[in-house]
Amino acid sequence: MPDVLTRRNFLSFDFGDRRAPGDHWIRIHRIAMACRFEVMLSSEDAGHVGAARAALDEADAVESLLTVFRETSAVADLNRRAADDDVDVDAGLFTLLVRSHELHEETDGAFDVTSTPLSRCWGFLMRQGQLPADDAVQQARDRVGMPHVHLDPEHQTVRFARRGMEINFGAIGKGYALDRMASMLRAGGVRRALLSAGRSSVVALGGRGHGWQVDLRPRLASRLVGRLWIRDGGVGTSGTGEQFFEIDGKRYGHVIDPRTGHPAAGVLGATVVTSDGASADALSTAFFIGGPSLAERYCAGHADTMAVLVLDDTTERTQVFGSYHGATLEMES
Amino acid sequence: MNLTPEQMTLGRRNFLKTIAGVPAVAAVGAAAVMKGPVRGGPVRVGFIGVGGQGRALLRNVDPNFAQVRAMADINPASLAAADEILKKNSQPPAKHYVEFRDMLQHEDLEAIITAVPLWMHAEVVTTCLDAGKHVLCEKMMAWDKAGYERMMQTAAKARRVLEIGYQRNYNPIYRSAHEGVMKTGVLGDVYHVRLAWHRNGNWRRKGDPPSKDFDASKWGYPTWDHLWNWRLYWRYSQGLFAELGSHQVNATNWFLGTAPERVQACGGVYRFKDGREVPDHVYAMFEYPGGVTGTFTSIESNAFDERYEAFFGTKGTLIIRNENDAMLFDEGAGARPTGVEVAPKGAGAALETSETKPAQAGGAAREVSASTEGARGPSPTMIEIQSFCSAVRTGSPLACGPEKASHSAAWTLAANEAMKTSAPVKIG
Repeated sequence: MPDVLTRRNFLSFDFGDRRAPGDHWIRIHRIAMACRFEVMLSSEDAGHVGAARAALDEADAVESLLTVFRETSAVADLNRRAADDDVDVDAGLFTLLVRSHELHEETDGAFDVTSTPLSRCWGFLMRQGQLPADDAVQQARDRVGMPHVHLDPEHQTVRFARRGMEINFGAIGKGYALDRMASMLRAGGVRRALLSAGRSSVVALGGRGHGWQVDLRPRLASRLVGRLWIRDGGVGTSGTGEQFFEIDGKRYGHVIDPRTGHPAAGVLGATVVTSDGASADALSTAFFIGGPSLAERYCAGHADTMAVLVLDDTTERTQVFGSYHGATLEMES
Repeated sequence: MNLTPEQMTLGRRNFLKTIAGVPAVAAVGAAAVMKGPVRGGPVRVGFIGVGGQGRALLRNVDPNFAQVRAMADINPASLAAADEILKKNSQPPAKHYVEFRDMLQHEDLEAIITAVPLWMHAEVVTTCLDAGKHVLCEKMMAWDKAGYERMMQTAAKARRVLEIGYQRNYNPIYRSAHEGVMKTGVLGDVYHVRLAWHRNGNWRRKGDPPSKDFDASKWGYPTWDHLWNWRLYWRYSQGLFAELGSHQVNATNWFLGTAPERVQACGGVYRFKDGREVPDHVYAMFEYPGGVTGTFTSIESNAFDERYEAFFGTKGTLIIRNENDAMLFDEGAGARPTGVEVAPKGAGAALETSETKPAQAGGAAREVSASTEGARGPSPTMIEIQSFCSAVRTGSPLACGPEKASHSAAWTLAANEAMKTSAPVKIG
C-alpha cells in the first residue's frame, strides 16, 4: 500500500463499486407451462433478483396445480373424478373456476375452459392438426360447455354434469400465474417489474412515467400494430401464428370456437389490456373468437378494459375498443 | 450439478444453452455515469503497444471520451495495422513512435493506454506515471511483485489514475450478478468457486518479422520468436495463470469481497512440446479467508467446458459462461433452472407481445426484432476505456485500480511458484 492515500487513490483501491450498474434490463426467467416465464427488472432494482426467483417458484406452483399434463395435478384429479363425484378443490382453484364461469357468461360463451375435447378432435393437443369428421366434432361438442360444470360455493366442490368433460386453463392459467407472482412481488416490496409468460401474457407492476413500453406484434400481422405503455395492469394476446395447420390453402388455427366446434376465423390477433393478467388472457381468447362485435359489446359494458383487434382482411385493419386507465396506446399508421 | 435425465440426454452443452434462454445474451450496456463526452473534452491519449491486445483496445476507443494522438510500438507492422483501425473507425491518424519515451517527450498527452508484454509493464507504466500521465494498463499488472508494488507506489506518489484492464469489472452481466445475486445472498453461503478456461489449440502464434533486417535483440528478445510468442517464455510471461486465470480470480475476488491466501498448483507442457517453457495445462486450488476454496483449470487440449466462473452456495449455484451468459440454479432436488440475462435498455420497447410463443418453438416463429433483444451495447472493453477517461477527467472511481489488480497478480505469482515447487504457497 502507498504511504499516502489521496481521495482518488482511496476510491480506486476500494474493492466495492458503488456506481449504478448502468441502464439495462435484467431478465430472470424459467421455463414453466411450456413457455418462458420472465420477471424483468430495471438494473437499479437488481437487489430484487432473489424476489424474482421466488416469484418464479410461484409459477411452478401454479403449474403443478393446473397442468393437465401431470396426473398428480389438482386439475388432472378433477378431470378424472368430477363426472362421478363432487370433488373438493382448493380455494385458489375454486376462485379461478368461478372467474372462468363469469368470463364465460360475460363473453357469450366464447371463453370456455372446457373446450379441450374440441382441441383434441382437431389434433391440436398433440400439435398434429387434422380435419375431423363432422360427427367427431359433434361428439366433442357434447362434452363441452361451462354450464355443465357445477360449482358449489358452499362446499367448494366441483361436479361435471356430463361424462368426458375436461377442464383446461390453457387460455387463462398464464395470466393467473402472473397475477399471483405480482402479488408476491408486491408483498415483498418490489415496486417495479414487468412479468411475462410466453410473450402472450404480461403483467406490469408499477412503471415509470407512462409505464412499461410493450409493442404489440401479433405473429400473423405483417407489421408492428401499436405501442402500449402500461402501468399496473395485465395484457393478454391471442392469435394462431404459432399453432395452426393448412389444408388446400385454408388455414386452421388452434383456437376453437366452443360454440361452433370450428377454429375461430376473422381475426389475426387480439390484445386485451385490463386490471389483471387472468382476465386479459381470457378476454383476448374470447375476442379472438368473438371478433369485433363481442369486443365492442364487452368493452362498452365493462370499464377499464381495452381491446386491440387486427382483422384478417387484406388491409389488416386494426380496431380499438374501450380504454384502460393505466395504459397509453399509440397505433402504428 | 443436479441434472434431470432429460437434460442429461440433451448433453451438457445443449443443456446450458437451453436453460440460458433463447439466445445467449451478448455483452451489453454502458454505465450510467458516462453519458456523452466528459467535461473537458476527450482525453488526449497515447497507445504503447499496438499488437493484438493493444489493437483490441484501440478498436474500443470511443472518440467522445478519448482522442488517440500517438502510438508507440517496436513493430512497424503493428503500427500499420493500428492505422487501419483508426481509419475504419473514422478517427484521425495518430503519430507513430518506436520508442515510447520519445512519444512521452514529444506529445502533449494526458493518458496512456498500454498493452506491452508483461515483463515490460512495470517499466513502461512507472515511466509514464513519472511523466505525469494517467495509465490504463492491460492485465495482468506486472511480471513480479517488485514490479506491481513499484507501480502502486508510483501512482500514489504521482497522484495519477492507474487502471488495470480486467474488463469483467465493466461487464453489465457481472455487475448485475454481483448486485443481484452475490450481494443479496441468493446463493446462501458460498464455500466453493470453480473457474475454468479450456481451449483446444496451440497458444503459439505463427508470424513473420516485419522485415528481414528486423532485430528483436535490440528490445531484449534474443529471437523474433521470443518477441512474437513472448507468452510462452517465463522471462516475459507468467503463463496461463496470468493471461487467463487472473481474469477469473479478479472477478472472484470482487464477488467474494476478499482475496485468496494460499494456493497449490500443478501443470506442465503436456501437449505442445515445441520448446516453450510455460505449461499448456495448469491446475490450481486456492483458499480464501473464511473457508472458501477455489479451483482454476486451464487446458489446451479440450474446449468442451469453454470458460466459466461457477459459484456454489448452500442455496444455489451461479454460473457465468463465456462472459456473456449468467445462469442460476436452485439447490436441492427438483430445483428448476433459472436464467438471468442482461440486455441494454435502448430506446425501444421493454417487451414485444404476441400470441404464446412455446419454449421450444422452431424456426417457424418470427424472431423478435433486434431492437428488444440481441442488441449489442458497448463492449465491456469500451466501457472500461470510457470509465478510465471519466476517472481522468472527473475523479470518478475505478472498478479495478491497482490494489484490486495486485491481488490477482499475487495469486498468479503464487500459483506459478506452487506449480514449480510442488508445494503450497502463501499468497502476499
